[in-house]
Parts: sequence; structure tokens; C-alpha cells
Amino acid sequence: MKDYKRYIIAVSLLTVSFLYIFTSNETGVARIFVNLLTFAGIYGLAAIGINVHFGWTGLLNFGHAAFMGIGAYTTILLIPHALGREGVVIETGLPLPLAVIIGMLAAALLGLILGLPTLRLRGDYLAIVTIAAAEIFRLLIRDFEDITGGVYGVIQFSEALQSLRPNFITNLATSIEVSSSQLWVGVITWILIIFTLLFLNRLQKSPWGRALRAVREDEDAVRALGKNAVWLKLQSFMLGASIGGLSGILLAFNYGTLQVSTFVPVLTFYLWAALILGGVGSLAGPALGAVIFWVIISGTDSLAEIFFENANGQQLAGVRFVFVGLLIMFTMIFTPSGILGKKEELLLDIK
Amino acid sequence: MTSNKLLSVSSLKKSFGGLQAVNVDSLEFSENEITSLIGPNGAGKTTFFDLLTKFQNPDQGNIFFEGENVTSFQSYKLARLGMTRTFQLTRVFEKMSVLENMQFSGSSVKNESISRSLIKGKSLNNFEKELEIEVDKILELLNLSHMKYSYARELSGGQKKLLELGRALIRKPKLLLLDEPLAGVNPKLAEEILDIIKNLSIEGINIIMVEHNINAVMKISERVVVMAEGKIIADGEPEAIRNNENVIEAYLGKVNE
Ligand SMILES: Nc1ncnc2c1ncn2[C@@H]1O[C@H](COP(=O)(O)OP(=O)(O)OP(=O)(O)O)[C@@H](O)[C@H]1O
Ligand SMILES: [Mg+2]
Repeated sequence: MKDYKRYIIAVSLLTVSFLYIFTSNETGVARIFVNLLTFAGIYGLAAIGINVHFGWTGLLNFGHAAFMGIGAYTTILLIPHALGREGVVIETGLPLPLAVIIGMLAAALLGLILGLPTLRLRGDYLAIVTIAAAEIFRLLIRDFEDITGGVYGVIQFSEALQSLRPNFITNLATSIEVSSSQLWVGVITWILIIFTLLFLNRLQKSPWGRALRAVREDEDAVRALGKNAVWLKLQSFMLGASIGGLSGILLAFNYGTLQVSTFVPVLTFYLWAALILGGVGSLAGPALGAVIFWVIISGTDSLAEIFFENANGQQLAGVRFVFVGLLIMFTMIFTPSGILGKKEELLLDIK
Repeated sequence: MTSNKLLSVSSLKKSFGGLQAVNVDSLEFSENEITSLIGPNGAGKTTFFDLLTKFQNPDQGNIFFEGENVTSFQSYKLARLGMTRTFQLTRVFEKMSVLENMQFSGSSVKNESISRSLIKGKSLNNFEKELEIEVDKILELLNLSHMKYSYARELSGGQKKLLELGRALIRKPKLLLLDEPLAGVNPKLAEEILDIIKNLSIEGINIIMVEHNINAVMKISERVVVMAEGKIIADGEPEAIRNNENVIEAYLGKVNE
């Protein structure tokens, strides 16, 4: 398939799904959109991180939720916050930008720790270790209640971000009747996506990006040519992890509270769904995939009525994932490299 | 033990389960030579190459390169010292263009660093342009110029062999280890590859080559080493090897027990 055709498909898919949401909701369309685009942006950013791992380097990371989680917890615990349910209130903290950078570095450090022992081995080891590490991380966060708030989570940290909200965002939010804090998170998310993509575009076209592609294809050949494949993989792993960390921070600000239950394994698999839909290896694919994923998530309520009268939450969730599953199947059959992916890039060669 | 030879090994051993794949007491390679390593299938030639280049770890023994004990070096370090190998089963980067295959091989580790790639961005293009001139020369030499922008997987088997050779050449190696460079290559192309190898040798690149094509081996080599069941059974000038009883026996099978 020609490149421009892929973009036509992408644009028409988006148009159709947005129109569908417009027509199927009589009230609160703006709210639904802001919610959808914010979540989609955050998931998209996280999926961009997995794309650096898998799409660029062939690394199988099934524990992305842990990178998002460690980014979020590190940053949030460094700024003023309160631990949930009668926990401590901490009124001082680092400035937000600094805390965010440290949060991303913490995610990269976790990547280094997980990568060092496993990236020398075959690809499946990394997959197993990342799944396990994500669960260990979640359980540790849950059990170290004194620091992390445990199952009660962390609250009252949003001010650090919301105090930076410009007036025009607040005014805009009021006039279109959406949550001003979510609109602000959404705007920041998409700005960060653009910056991340520009940054990655520069890297992908650089000799470093080329070296990663070589690693993805044949590590032994890379070694034979005097290049340190393990180090290249580690760098890629840390870079993708820190992007995951950033998205985790945004996710926390979007919810307004930090809950350990956010970083469950299924989160990682939603991100993979977004990546596969959008196109492995393509730059903007993951973000597009995440939008489509969230259109399905937010748009299926009315579709669910075809199957159930007055569907309850559980039935809705079921129907949603039937649709996600169907869409992934159709993608795999008709354009196996995803909507924006290149055919050459797909073949799942795992390092 | 050290040696001022280009490459030498001492009591190098590797076994797979009960099978002694390589068992070489001592072997030295000197400068400015084309040495061929021959022997029946399964003799241990590729495994020997793997040990020399550290793609596999020896069970015991030492490897010296330019007098330095490199036994504990990782494969990419050895390659940086100037030891470049090709593979019996060609390993080109199929999803990269011929040009990219070559550029990747030729680009310096420094330019490939993430920080430099980020900071320098487009100004790295100058290095890449210089590299491309180099690439063009080698592609010309290997008759691959017309495939420069094709994906490597679009090349024929023989062309992939050439690309792999080119990818090794752009690294300006001191020692080139070629594992069956003529396998699956038509006679005319084989002649061309032989000429190229000969010229490389004249230009001062040392060559060790595993090859089953005996005529080619005899024609091009200054020295032939014969391996069977992991051991070196003969070592000498082509003429002497051709008439060596042991060699004939190893290749044709024992005439009587
Ligand atoms: N990874 C491995 N595991 C087990 N046995 C192996 C392995 N690699 C090689 N061998 C065995 O070691 C012996 C030497 O194999 P090697 O590939 O070195 O032979 P070769 O001389 O290169 O043969 P050919 O001319 O067919 O390429 C063979 O008997 C082979 O079966
Ligand atoms: Mg062999």
C-alpha cells in the first residue's frame, strides 16, 4: 500500500469515528471529546515509548505499566501531595519540571536495571522479565503504604500543574463546558507528543537510529561490524522507558489522584493494541492507534445497545473489547503492518 | 605466551556435548598471506571462526591478535581491533537498503552515539556524505552500484555475498575472515570475487578463508590449512597439500581401515 493511501485511510477513519461520536451523543459532546483526546494522547505517548523498543529495536516489553508507574510515583511524591486516607500531607516539594525530569530518569533507571541482565539474552527473556517486574513493582507500591499511600493512593498533587494553567484555557473550558483541568492536561499531552515526535524523528534518521534498525534485524551481524549491540539495546530501552515514565506522570495528573490500580498489566496490553492498530515502527502510528482505541472505548456505549437493553458496566466493557479485538483482527488481515506502518517493518523479528 | 604474529591460537578447544568440534594445539597466521582453511563438512571450520571472533567462547585455550591476548574480548571489541568476519549463511540487513547496510558498517561508533546524533543532527550529514563516497567506490568494485538504493532482501544470493564482503571492506579491516565466500556463486562471479580477494591481499589486508572450492583455493592461497574432526591434519603450501595422503583420505574417506 502506498504511503498516501495510508494517510487517507487514517484521516477517513478518524473522520468517521468522530462523526459517529458527534451524532450518537446529544449532550456533552465536547466533554466526551476532551476526555477521549486526553486519554488517547497519554496512551499514544506511552505507545510511542513501546514503539521505540519494539518498532525500532525489536525489544519485547510487556511491562510498560511499570515504567509509567515509576515515572508517576517518583514525580508525584517529589511535589507537594497528600497520601490517601489520613496519610501525611507534604506541603513542600521540588518544582514540577525538575520532578518530571527525575521521574523520567527513574523510569530510565528501571529500564537499565531490567535491561542489563536480560538484554544479553534472547528476546523472550526480556518479555518475561518485564511482565514479572511490572507486577513486582505494583505490589511493592501497594505494600509500602507509608511512602506510596498503598491502595489508598496519593491525592492533592494536581495544583502543581493546574496552577500553571493559562487563563485562556480556563475560559475556553468554561465556554465549551468541559473540565478545565482535563483540558489543560490534554493540551500539554499533545504538545509533548509533538515534541517527542520531533525529537524521535531526528533520532530515527540519525546514525543512531540506523544502528538500532540494524540491531533489530541481526544482532550478530552488528557485533561482527564492531558495534556494541547490547549497549544500543540498553539505550533504546532506557529511552522508551523514560517516554513511558512521562506518559505515566500525565496519566496521574489526568486522573487527579494516583492509584496503584492504574498500573495493572492490562494497561500495557491496551498500549500494545494501540501500537498494532496504528502501525509498528511508524512515527505517528502509535498516537493514531491510541485515538482509534479510545474512540472505540468511548463510542461503544451506543453500539452496545444493539446487543443489550440498558447495558450495565460489565456488559459495556465486554462489548468494547469485542470491538477492539475485531478491529485488531481486521487490521491484521487487511493491513498487517497497522494503519500507518510500512509492510517491510512488520515482520515480528524479536531480539 | 605471546607472539608477534598477526593471529595465533594455542590449545583452542570447543566441544558440543560429546563432540569435539574444535581441537587446535597451536596455529599461527602471519601477515600478508591468503590462508585457506579447508576440510570436510562438519570439520569444525565455522566453529573455529566463531571462536576466533568470539561469537562462541572456547572451552579452553588462548587467542592472540597482534601479540595481544584477546581471549576474553567480546566480539565487537575484536572487530574494532580490525578483525572482520563474514558468515557462512549470509547475514545482510534485509530491511535496510544496500547503501544503509554499507553506511552502518562504515560509520564511526562516535557518530553513532545517541548524544551526538541528537546534538549534531543534520551536521552529521557531512560525515555521511564522505562515507557515501567510500561506499560508492566499494559498490563499484563489487558491481553493486545499480542496487545501491534497493532493499538488501531484493538482492540475489550471490549479490548478498558481495554486499557482505563490501560491508566488511568498508571497515578497512586488518584481517578478513571469509566463511565460504564463493558458496552458491556462479563461476564467473566466483572468478571476480577471487580477483577482488587477491587485490585486497595485495593492498595489505590479511585474509583467512574457508572454502570448499578446491580449485579456487589452490589458485589463490599462499597457504592451506586442512581441518578434520576439529584437528589440523595438514598445513602447508597448496602444492604440498594437494598431494598429502591425509588430506586425500579426509576428503575421500578411508580406503581401508
Ligand atoms: N551450536 C552447535 N551445537 C551443537 N553442535 C554443533 C554446533 N555448531 C556446530 N556443531 C557441530 O560441530 C561440528 C563442526 O561444525 P562446523 O559448522 O564448525 O563445521 P564446518 O567445518 O564449518 O562445516 P561446513 O563445511 O559444512 O560448513 C559439526 O559436527 C556440527 O554438527
Ligand atoms: Mg562451515
